[in-house]
Amino acid sequence: MCSVYDTVAFEKKGIPSTTIITTAFKKAAEFQFRSKGMVGHPYVQLPHPVSNLQPTEMRELTLHFVDEVASHLKV
Amino acid sequence: MNERVDEFEFFLEKPWSDGFPVVTPTEERISRMLAQTERDYEEVIGLIPPAMEIATVRTVAVHALMAGCRPEYLPVVLGATELMLREEFNVNGVQGTMHGVAPMMIVNGPYAAEIGVHGGNGCLGPGFRANATIGRAIRLILMNLGAGIPGISSMTIFGMPSRYTYCLTENMEDHPWDSLAVSKGYRPDENVITMAMVESPRFCFDDVSDEPDRLLLGIADTMAAMGSWNMHARSDMVVAMGPQHAGICAGAGLRHRDVHRRLCEIAGLRVGDLKTGGNWRRERALALPIKVDPDDDDCFVPAIKDPEDLQLIVAGGWGPCTAVCHGWSGGSRAVHGTYQV
Amino acid sequence: MANELGFVDPTAGGGKEIILPAPRPTSLSGKVVGLIDNTKEQADIILQTIGEALCERYGVEGVIVRRKEHYSKPAAEELIDDMAKQVDIAVAGLGG
Repeated sequence: MCSVYDTVAFEKKGIPSTTIITTAFKKAAEFQFRSKGMVGHPYVQLPHPVSNLQPTEMRELTLHFVDEVASHLKV
Repeated sequence: MNERVDEFEFFLEKPWSDGFPVVTPTEERISRMLAQTERDYEEVIGLIPPAMEIATVRTVAVHALMAGCRPEYLPVVLGATELMLREEFNVNGVQGTMHGVAPMMIVNGPYAAEIGVHGGNGCLGPGFRANATIGRAIRLILMNLGAGIPGISSMTIFGMPSRYTYCLTENMEDHPWDSLAVSKGYRPDENVITMAMVESPRFCFDDVSDEPDRLLLGIADTMAAMGSWNMHARSDMVVAMGPQHAGICAGAGLRHRDVHRRLCEIAGLRVGDLKTGGNWRRERALALPIKVDPDDDDCFVPAIKDPEDLQLIVAGGWGPCTAVCHGWSGGSRAVHGTYQV
Repeated sequence: MANELGFVDPTAGGGKEIILPAPRPTSLSGKVVGLIDNTKEQADIILQTIGEALCERYGVEGVIVRRKEHYSKPAAEELIDDMAKQVDIAVAGLGG
């Protein structure tokens, strides 16, 4: 779950950042943001699981979440 | 004790409780525990991930006390805490993983025997205070200071009984070879802990083989499974040969390193068999740190990708059994080191 | 610490430093996005797709991708430091 740590590291350097997780890791992600001092930091949840998706399916699913990603990185 | 608060209920209701009562940490008991160390009580051992709370000598002592440790166990708990925080062991990853692996502690050297860490009959429990409480202290640290708690930061699907406690020594009385620590280059008089992130054991019973070839084939079979991460990633494994099985090998003239090498060579599965179920993915096979041809059904995929990953010990009571503990999906390397008594 | 309970409560969870989020730009146009791939399966496809779509939809101009050593370890400080010098926004994946 260290993608959360990476996002926090960027935020500390003044770089807007967000994390992509799957729904199964929602609680873990929220806990990690809280324990790193960034409670409530926005992240994006893809439906779990993704490991069984073919590349084209993965791309198509991801495209639905791009606007959400952007919304976390800008005003 | 305070009449208003039931101390047992107080701790049993904590989110970091392992489900069993703890020894109530009073200042008097903590002082007695700390009397066993000459280290500065405020010395920082490290930060326990993912919550990154600070483990000092004192806080480790409190967790050891709660676990039921005798004061003389404290040096081992301190040593293990330090060891498990090494980067390559990757406690942070294990605290959150869906897997159920736990840090297995193999304690070698004279101090282990002195304080009663058990390596013979029934050593994986229950029933031996040093084994039970030293391992439990580590788990309480991981849960309280690290917040490795299911429903909070831990995604473990099943957990595992070995997440309550997982600590033993080798059966040096019936051991035909040197200890694991000596095989790694330590002196016999050094106090050493080896930790590997592994599952609870599965057993290989074999009361038929009376020579090593057949015996090791059976043990190797237990080391390989479609659903084992050892087949799909570089991963540690602990093989604890019961002294009867080890004796069959030693009696045939095999040394520890001969058995170790043989198991590394023969434990594994053909691509053709691996593909038929479990965790097989072409990309995983290609990502292995060894050459695997996913299109060659006869290509052999060893369970042990690097000889360093197999921790071969002799433990347990007399009987025709070897315990095999599978590993995690490759993000942890076993660690070992001396500890200060 | 010991109080009227008569014993010590070592429950962790004390005060932590609070980290304020970085200020956000009003637009992503012309920005460079950093993508940190933690090697978890599908992370590469997910991040690549996000990178391309941010360019197409939001005018992001540059995409820098870096892969970590292993999914359950934080990125090395040097990796973050290095990326931080080159990017304006960042996406990390995949936790799961």
